[in-house]
Amino acid sequence: METFTNPHFPRNLSVAHVALFAPVNNAKDLRSRIIKAATLDGDEGEQERQAVNFAFIDARLITSRLHLQTAIYQAVMAEAQGALRTKKVHSEIVWILNPTNNITEALRRYGVSDTTRSLLVVRIDGPDLPAERAKKDMDAIISGETVPLDKLQDITEWNTVKKHYKLGQDTAILEAKGDSAREKVLINEIVISSVASKSIAS
Amino acid sequence: MPSASSNLIASAELISQGAEAKVYKAHIHSDTVPILVKHRFRKGYRHPTLDASLTRSRVAGEARALLKCLRAGVNVPGIRMVDATEGILGIEWIEGMCVRKLLPGGAEAETELSDADAVPFTGVDALMGLIGTEIAKMHLAGIIHGDLTTSNMILESSQSPRLVLIDFGLSYHSGLVEDKAVDLYVLERAFASTHPDSEPMFSSVLKAYEVRMGKHWASVSKRLDDVRLRGRKRSMVG
Repeated sequence: METFTNPHFPRNLSVAHVALFAPVNNAKDLRSRIIKAATLDGDEGEQERQAVNFAFIDARLITSRLHLQTAIYQAVMAEAQGALRTKKVHSEIVWILNPTNNITEALRRYGVSDTTRSLLVVRIDGPDLPAERAKKDMDAIISGETVPLDKLQDITEWNTVKKHYKLGQDTAILEAKGDSAREKVLINEIVISSVASKSIAS
Repeated sequence: MPSASSNLIASAELISQGAEAKVYKAHIHSDTVPILVKHRFRKGYRHPTLDASLTRSRVAGEARALLKCLRAGVNVPGIRMVDATEGILGIEWIEGMCVRKLLPGGAEAETELSDADAVPFTGVDALMGLIGTEIAKMHLAGIIHGDLTTSNMILESSQSPRLVLIDFGLSYHSGLVEDKAVDLYVLERAFASTHPDSEPMFSSVLKAYEVRMGKHWASVSKRLDDVRLRGRKRSMVG
């Protein structure tokens, strides 16, 4: 797990704990647990919502560490400004990662699905939540293994990213045809830039 | 409480200031990789409501132009963060030297490069070729830069020669031959006023531009001749 700290943000939003789980063995159960948590009432509901209080992101669609960091940055900034487009900062991260404005589509593509095999799990909080505690909370709901974030490069499915962002017909990508290293650099740059400017995309 | 973006600015290093914006070197995710932050500050001479909406739309416009260029394969800085409400655009930091300083006449007296340093990686002619190609790629994508000067081009120093176009603050979307011709004319004037004996340099730019534009070149070339006769602004008569 890694912890990113941003001193420019309000204290209660200044820390992001990020872990990469690969493989994940209980995606189906996790998904139904998240959905159920949203509908439970009373104390039990509060507890369940707290237990799944993370952003769950399908790691196959994340092209680099900076890609994820950019989404986190823009989501936390929106939260700090009271400008969230979704209900919580964690869902905002998932929404920002998807190129369209459709929240359901964002969760379906970039969130947990029954077939998810690798997950990036993010918790936005203040410095009062220690990293070990955040990790323990993640381990409590996810059955799988954590690997270093750098393993992301073996997990990214570039063709799916290309499809979601409709990059297939873009001159930049067409010109890089046959040079897969260069194509990845270009896709990564376009995706990061799209995520960074999501708030003004029309 | 100060906003995240004002904290970011406060921690950043001011690089330059214009009438429209201040430019900073800042860090957001790591201490090793900087970003460039362009802050369109509040203009006291404008009504606050108008100021807010102009600032917002200009930040958005610049970011959209950059994204469009990236998708079209034009070398431009990537976008790193956007806070349109505060007038802030964070982009990739490009390490290199602006073309103005690489050409004769462009450097300030004390920073004049010795002949050995001038135009690293490539000769002047090759550099002009890179410029022409990048502009053509941008025009083919339907983007007009609006402020093409040798100061708004960076020869990146990190890898094999890559010419990066910067400052899309005055850019706009257009497919008109007129706008492309004027874009080129603005650059021609900039060359003529900054660098002595610029004619052969600018014709190398146009040569590369012609190659890249292909069948679109003829009409732009014809229009460029018209624009040279009348200047940048079209006559409003008739």
